[in-house]
This record gives sequence, structure tokens and C-alpha cells, in this order.
Amino acid sequence: MKDVRYFAPTEMAEATQLLARYGDGAAVLAGGTDLVPQLNYYERHPEAIVFIGNLNLGYVKEDDSKLVIGAGTTLAELLASDLVVAHFGILADAISELGTVAIRTTATIGGNIANASPAADTVPPLLVMDADLVLVGPDGERTVALQDFFTGPGETILDTGELISEIHVPLLNGGTSFKKVGMRKAQSCAIAAVAVRIEMDGDTCTDARVALGSMAPTPLRCTTAEDLLKGETLDADLVARCAEAAVGQTKPIDDQRASAWYRIKAGKALIAKALSEAAGLGM
Amino acid sequence: MKETLSFVLNGSPVDVLAAPTETLLDLLREQLGVTGPKRGCDEGDCGTCTVLLDGQPVRSCLTIALTVAGKEITTVEGLADGRKLHPLQKAFHERGAFQCGFCTPGMLMSAKALLDGNPNPTRREIVDHMSGNLCRCGSYEEVIEAIQAVANGEYKE
Repeated sequence: MKDVRYFAPTEMAEATQLLARYGDGAAVLAGGTDLVPQLNYYERHPEAIVFIGNLNLGYVKEDDSKLVIGAGTTLAELLASDLVVAHFGILADAISELGTVAIRTTATIGGNIANASPAADTVPPLLVMDADLVLVGPDGERTVALQDFFTGPGETILDTGELISEIHVPLLNGGTSFKKVGMRKAQSCAIAAVAVRIEMDGDTCTDARVALGSMAPTPLRCTTAEDLLKGETLDADLVARCAEAAVGQTKPIDDQRASAWYRIKAGKALIAKALSEAAGLGM
Repeated sequence: MKETLSFVLNGSPVDVLAAPTETLLDLLREQLGVTGPKRGCDEGDCGTCTVLLDGQPVRSCLTIALTVAGKEITTVEGLADGRKLHPLQKAFHERGAFQCGFCTPGMLMSAKALLDGNPNPTRREIVDHMSGNLCRCGSYEEVIEAIQAVANGEYKE
């Protein structure tokens, strides 16, 4: 076996240069909760491990009507953040059901995104808030919309040498809701997860976002359901049609956690429940 | 390529060499002979390898050893004061909060982290906090009762 190198850079420029130098042979280590099981079970054989925990990327700030979250912020820190609880309750809801206490102590939000699991629990809440990612590479930084970030299971638009440095979350209006079903409460990968945000003017929906996890090769924005909602009076019938339209956009798989059939059924029910809750309908 | 690593283990400084892919669990058990933390699943699901990193519970099987440089690690070996058991250890023992005992080192460290941060947890908070520690003998009820008893002051230092 080849000798693995370990680096713990303290400067971003050093980190991105190391990642560029080792290319596909580099493994980025943040909290380690996704990477280390792959190492333990010999599913990954990196040439170099680049630990990014010394880059001071753990922070939550409010800046110009948006939340700025450092990619290295742990899930426990987010859950304990007054800013997150006050302005981004569905992220806190999603995190409180993610993993367990000991996982949340080290797992980072940047890692949950960059790992690009279709079941990443932080992603649907970030999608309904129109979050952007700041990506830093050897040649500088760029800002991309989160919804353009994923290209497949474990696949993203990150170039060689690039890291997520920050997540920008606009503080948008509207009622929100996050719902998830898993095999059990603790430590369970979502069978289906739903986040919605809905802006209402009386009974009329003025804007909406619907996002799903574990229902397609990537976390998914359900634009067909969103379009059905905009400008319409929200009632039980519309909620049902939206749920139908949203699952129509999905491509769920059969796996050890659930069948595609079940995911469609559960996803539809979760969407209806989340929409009703976010809109304040007593259904 | 092995790198030097210094950290504090149960109050004493440790200097070792660790490989980049070596987990804290491997280091503790194989190099340092600290076999309290157990290897159950090696992927973070079961909780029996739980140790405290600067007072916070982490999975030692998911922690790359080199990342704990300069930090403080507490394992179940660091709970008792000489021959005097920690109140949680006394409560687990007297109330039979285990059968085979394989999950106990992780249960105790998770419980310690809970009570350190929240000395009077509700039953719900105990259940939520301990949900990441599996006991295949099914001693959950006794675990909850033991933690409640310590929180109620039934087992003093």
C-alpha cells in the first residue's frame, strides 16, 4: 500500500494548492463522519488527507439581510446558534434529526453539502432558502447557487482544488416546514425528506419553494409544484395536486432502506403535511 | 507516512506516532493499550467507541487520530478517581444498566457529556441524547433510570 500523506493547513491558499496538487488522490477531511467510514472499510485509498479543520471556517454571522455560515461550522454549533434558531428554524429542525449527538459534534455543514448525498438532510432546507455557496480554489473564488451545485450522487461542480468556504442564506419571508421519514429517529439516513417555504398574502400563495431529499440522484427543487402554488388560493385540493406534481419530478430508487414505491407514497404525504404546516392550514 | 502527535489522554500528556488514516480508536486500543473504547461497527452507528474530545462526545472510530493534536481526550478509563468509581459507574453497576457490558464504555461517556452540559435532564432529553448508543442486550430502561438517579443526586462523588 502506498504511503498516505497528511496535511493540516492553516491557510486557505495552502489548502487549495494541496488539493490541486493531489487532485483525485486528495481526500478532504473536515468532521470525518462521511470520509472515515470509507477509509475504515477500505473503500477509498487517498494519496493525501487534507484536514481543513484548522482553517477557521466555523462561524455564523448575520450580514446584510443574510446569514453567512462558515463551511466548517459543526452541526452542533449550528443547533446552538441563536441566529440559526431565530432566522432559519427549518435548518435547526433538520439538524436535530440528523445523526446523533456525537456525530453532530464533529460533522460540518460544508461536509454534508460537499459529500453530495441525495439524502443530505441540511440541503432541502438550504434549497428552499435560495442559498448560495462560496467556492474557493487555487485561482480565486466564485459564488454559485446551491441548486446548481449537485450533478449526481456524490458528484458536484467542484473543480480540482476547490473547497466550499461559506454558505450564504438570504433571510427570506414565508412559513417553512421540514419533514423526514427514516428507519428510526437517531442516526437514520432519510428515506424521504421535504422542506418547503411558502409566502402567503391572506389565502393566496405569492411565492413558494419545495425541495426533496432521497427522492432523486441529487437533492431536488420541485419547480412544477412551486409554479402550481404561485398566485393561487391554497386549499386541500391544491396541496394534493402539488404533492402529486412534486413526486412526478422525482426518480426515487429501490434500496435497502425503502422501495421507490414507498418513497413516492411517503414523499407525497410529507409534502402535503409540510405545505399545510408552512401555510398555517389546519389540515 | 507517520506523523508525531501530542495530546492529553485522561489528564496525562501523550506523544506518539500516528498514520494519516489511523483512527483515534485504533491508536487508543492498538498503540496505547487503552481498551475501554470498543470497536462495534467502525462506522459511527453503534456508539460504543464514544470518548470525550475537549468535553464533547465524539466517535473515536470516526476521528482521525492526527486531528486531536493539542486536544484533551477522556475515555472510560478517566472516569474513576483511583479505585473510587464515578457516580455514573456506581449507578450503572448497582442498577444493572447492562448485561454483557460491551456498550457500557460508550454509554457512560455519552451520559457524562449529557450531565456535564445539563445536570437535570428530563427523561425525553436523556432518551434523545442517548439514542446514538446501541445496547443489543436491551438495557435501555435501566440506563435511563441510572442516569436519572445520578441527576437526582442519589450517587454522590
